[in-house]
Amino acid sequence: MPRPVNAVDFWRGFALVSIFINHIPGVFYDRFTHKNLSASDSAELFVFLAGWSLRHVVGKPEDPTPLHQLIFRLGGRALTLYAAHMMIVMLAIAMLAVSARLLDNPLLLEWHNAAAVFNDPVETHIGLVLLSHQLGYFDILPLYVVLMLLAPLIAFIHRQAPHLLVPVSLAVYFSALVFKLTVPTWPTEGQWFFNPLCWQAVFVLGFACSRERGPGGWVRANIGWLRLGAAPILIAATAMVWFDWWPDPTRVPEPKLLFIAGKTFVTPIRLIQFLALIAVFSALYPVIAKALPILVDYLSLLGRNSLPVFCAGSVLSLAGQIVRFYFRAGFFVDTALVAAGIILLGVTAWLAEWRDRVNKPA
Amino acid sequence: MERQGQQARVRRALTIAATLVAVAAGAPCVVHGQRGQVLAPVPKACETPGLSVIADSPLPNIAIALKERKKINILAIGATSASLRGPVSGGYYAVIERFLESTFKGLDVEVVHRGVSGELASDAAERIKTEVALNDADLVLWQLGTADALAQVPVADFFVTVSHTIAWLKEHKVDVILVGLRYTRSMVRDLHYQAVRTALQEIAKDHNVLRLGRYEAEEILERIRREQGDVPMSQAEVSEASYVCMAEYLARAIAAGLFVREPSPLKPPEKSP
Repeated sequence: MPRPVNAVDFWRGFALVSIFINHIPGVFYDRFTHKNLSASDSAELFVFLAGWSLRHVVGKPEDPTPLHQLIFRLGGRALTLYAAHMMIVMLAIAMLAVSARLLDNPLLLEWHNAAAVFNDPVETHIGLVLLSHQLGYFDILPLYVVLMLLAPLIAFIHRQAPHLLVPVSLAVYFSALVFKLTVPTWPTEGQWFFNPLCWQAVFVLGFACSRERGPGGWVRANIGWLRLGAAPILIAATAMVWFDWWPDPTRVPEPKLLFIAGKTFVTPIRLIQFLALIAVFSALYPVIAKALPILVDYLSLLGRNSLPVFCAGSVLSLAGQIVRFYFRAGFFVDTALVAAGIILLGVTAWLAEWRDRVNKPA
Repeated sequence: MERQGQQARVRRALTIAATLVAVAAGAPCVVHGQRGQVLAPVPKACETPGLSVIADSPLPNIAIALKERKKINILAIGATSASLRGPVSGGYYAVIERFLESTFKGLDVEVVHRGVSGELASDAAERIKTEVALNDADLVLWQLGTADALAQVPVADFFVTVSHTIAWLKEHKVDVILVGLRYTRSMVRDLHYQAVRTALQEIAKDHNVLRLGRYEAEEILERIRREQGDVPMSQAEVSEASYVCMAEYLARAIAAGLFVREPSPLKPPEKSP
């Protein structure tokens, strides 16, 4: 039996649908996703909830998973994520190649940072395997792989000194911001789109908030006050996005990354707004669950099966872009695409649970 | 046979080079700077008899950077795959660094690559402001248009995004060179693709910024190839040839821009042989 619907799966399903839509640039429904009113977007939510879910592997404080088991399980998870990433990247490359051939348009080979794969295949394939070359919109799983490899250390620190985990994580985060530390890409010159040195903070905060000990306990005890404090932050951030009141990055003091908005470094503006967002919106789940049970069931189904759904969503987003290019995008094409995509995400999740049921010994 | 192949390849490169630059901001081409300084000629493979380089849209901010700091920071961004190392030692943009540093003794040029092939102008526009601030950029090389046209981004949205970004850059005393759309035969009659291309030309004209016309270069290359019955070049070869020559001519465009003068009236590009 799959686990019953819950807020974490629901919001993860919400993030998956948002990511699917946001990854079809220009699609009509993109304007209705929350990134249009928010300094942060679904990526923060997805990574935060991944950190939250780490609690299931780490075990309860009174019955913790032994460390060696933890290392094996999380290492295995990292390997699964890596394999899933390689599979969807290869599918994406093949989809671009087939589309370029069938549509007689070699420019499609340059979509989403794929040019290097076709123009410089020897080095780029090495880069793909090393995760140092990433396709556009296919760059979040490499971050997950790194986070999973770091997860045993995160769990260990939390186990030994729960109050130390968040400060250590934030120290790494602020060091990356102050010293502009990044992870370089290769063979093309650049940097990882999701800087793991910064995004680990979102993951750690998700994990810490999920725990009864340490900062998580404090958050639970003070959630009412936190929501009161978060509401004005959220309103101010929404106004900033809506009226384009972003700080001018050239006019802020050094270190600039502390004061500007940037997804790569998930800068403090994004991080604080995101934390305010979850503080406020976490209160809404019971209301939504009561008012829209079918929606909650559906999104929870997606959220329970996040890896296959994410992989399907990534491939479907790319397919959607190719379809939009071929059929000349418009409202009806976009509606059909998004509707078909969301249904297919549901089918993917259902198949994953069906497979688990079938494989389960009687 | 081999010699003929080589000649054909050189001819193609010449054509690409000529057209790349000739259409830059629709401006006339000169091989020398504005105060009589003679720039080093382009390499043989990118050279074009009867057509010399460089657009004279001024790049006043890098000229100031040269004068005051002896250092120029260049940000390469947008839907470019020029961050590939390619056949040139150090990558295509190393050509620019080397050329400028040898032309202006004591000048330190740093090119920061933040391009992602296939990136939309709206995504790049968001990043440009941050990257300009983080890298103290004096000049932005922005390759754009192709991905937007393929993704069916509305032309009006594209126009507004790019115009606003250029205005922001100018307001912040950052020069910009636009590197235009790519060419492929299947897009010649694509109304949306051509509309984006026209929009980019208009933007460059409105803001008086340099635009390198890769489309025009590759289109002529394709035509010559067809007319002469040459062995077709692969898209990768076309990309490589145009990137190499693009870098050579960009270097000279920037160098010419360093000898600042007021822009002169625009002339139509010369026809390639």
